[in-house]
Amino acid sequence: MSDNECTNKPKKADPWAYTEIVKDHFLNPRNFIMGDETKWQADGEGLVGNPVCGDQMLVKIRVKGNKITNIGWKTYGCASAIASTSALSELAKGKTLEDADRITAKEICNYLGGLPEHKFHCSVLGHQALHKAIQNYKASHDS
Amino acid sequence: MIYFDASATTPLLPEAREAMVNLMDLSISGNLGNASSLHTAGSRAKGELIRARTEIAKLIGVPPLELILTSSGSESNNTVLHTFEHCPIFVSAIEHPSVLRPAEEYGNPCIKVPVNEQGTINLNYLKLKLTEIAKADPKQKILVSIMLANNEIGTVEPIRKVAIIISELRKQGYRNIYLHTDATQAIGKIPVDAKKSMIDYLTFTAHKLGGPIGIAALYVRTGAPFRPLILGGSQENKRRAGTSNVVLAAGFAAAAKYSNDNKTWGKYLKIKELRNYLAERIMQIIPSARIITPLNNLSSEHEESALPNILNVSFPAAEGESTQLYLDLNGIEVSTGSACASGALEPSHVLMAMFHDAEIAHDSVRFSFNLDTTKQQIDVLLDKIPGIVAKIQDLSTMNKEPYNERQRMHQ
Repeated sequence: MSDNECTNKPKKADPWAYTEIVKDHFLNPRNFIMGDETKWQADGEGLVGNPVCGDQMLVKIRVKGNKITNIGWKTYGCASAIASTSALSELAKGKTLEDADRITAKEICNYLGGLPEHKFHCSVLGHQALHKAIQNYKASHDS
Repeated sequence: MIYFDASATTPLLPEAREAMVNLMDLSISGNLGNASSLHTAGSRAKGELIRARTEIAKLIGVPPLELILTSSGSESNNTVLHTFEHCPIFVSAIEHPSVLRPAEEYGNPCIKVPVNEQGTINLNYLKLKLTEIAKADPKQKILVSIMLANNEIGTVEPIRKVAIIISELRKQGYRNIYLHTDATQAIGKIPVDAKKSMIDYLTFTAHKLGGPIGIAALYVRTGAPFRPLILGGSQENKRRAGTSNVVLAAGFAAAAKYSNDNKTWGKYLKIKELRNYLAERIMQIIPSARIITPLNNLSSEHEESALPNILNVSFPAAEGESTQLYLDLNGIEVSTGSACASGALEPSHVLMAMFHDAEIAHDSVRFSFNLDTTKQQIDVLLDKIPGIVAKIQDLSTMNKEPYNERQRMHQ
């Protein structure tokens, strides 16, 4: 199975078409930056997506000894975009930069118990924002 | 639940249910036949069909025989556009997809008339282009299809002015220009009179006025070109094949009768007041919001600028599907122009045609009401919406300032 497929698919025709886990992350997003994101001190940050397609994610990381000690984010988009960035932040926290950089869309999707097909392809972008944030960190901390 | 999505479909009227149940009971006992059969059960069905057609036709002031019953507004629209295959077809840029798509398919060429930020068509553009194309070939059949009122924002289009442009061209000898209007959203909410408005074809459907889903109508003026979409039967005066759906027709007729008897377009003035109250209060409690529906009476002919029961609003930085789902969890059901909600890749073509700004389109939420909507329900919404919008805005990467107070980045 490729990284472009999600192993978990919603099982029943929920009117929401979202799993309980997605709903939970949408309503109670983890690690998001409250208030002004520019005031959130970070060692690296990445922004992906654009309002034309309706989704945009900002991911900011704090790094200590090659590990992500803290992660914060903002997301403009639908429930699945918000939930998937929230899920990503939980997956990345505490990981080494190398491990965090290996997080795939598939992992995010599985963590959430699956996403509707059309959502998976357009709204799971958080790992790309994280990748950019890691690169941004590395660029400014290269020896 | 508080249902603010009447423009998607209205709740079924008890009168419509009763009419349909009565006929279904007749059918169980074998007393409701095929309306095309000559025996007693068939004649009974035929009688019901005639009765239904008469009541439905009254709704738009036309003779029953000029009315074709179809399965949906989309079928009615497709039937008209299909009649004008290979002909120039003019449509507004904000038509329902069931007009836009067939216009692109059949029109040669398909000309989209732009709209302004109120969603009103550019009449000068229409007049200029129509005159140009008519003069190029005076015998050419041409269709102009402009909706009576838009389903997403509620804007009422100046259909009489369009009819006047066409009738002036006809007087100049360009006799083959025809006018179709999709009145699906307008019917029952504002007065609609096909004859007075000089319309050749008019689409409307049962489930926007308390009737059942699955039946709609198409008015075709006698003498206007017609080409059936569905072949293989002589039903509907040989204009639409398929066994007559007498049960649904009775439900449609009951809803039409309710609208005719109660003059619902008059009763909707009360709903308009509630709608305006909602708009006013939203601007007070969420000043960055943008009211998309044109609420002012812009026309000099005392026509309404918008339907009384629709309010479309965009909340900056708050994507519409998120707002919709938060509202749903709070017991309030609405629609959105966001692409995400429908599974499409592009946001609402209506809002894009008006603003050329994807963000306004993605952020839009449509509240649409019916005659049962109460002030109490609207107050519940007003109580919940500021917290919901504030939360989604706080999560968002986008600018929370009003749209017109910042540079448009995404033209």
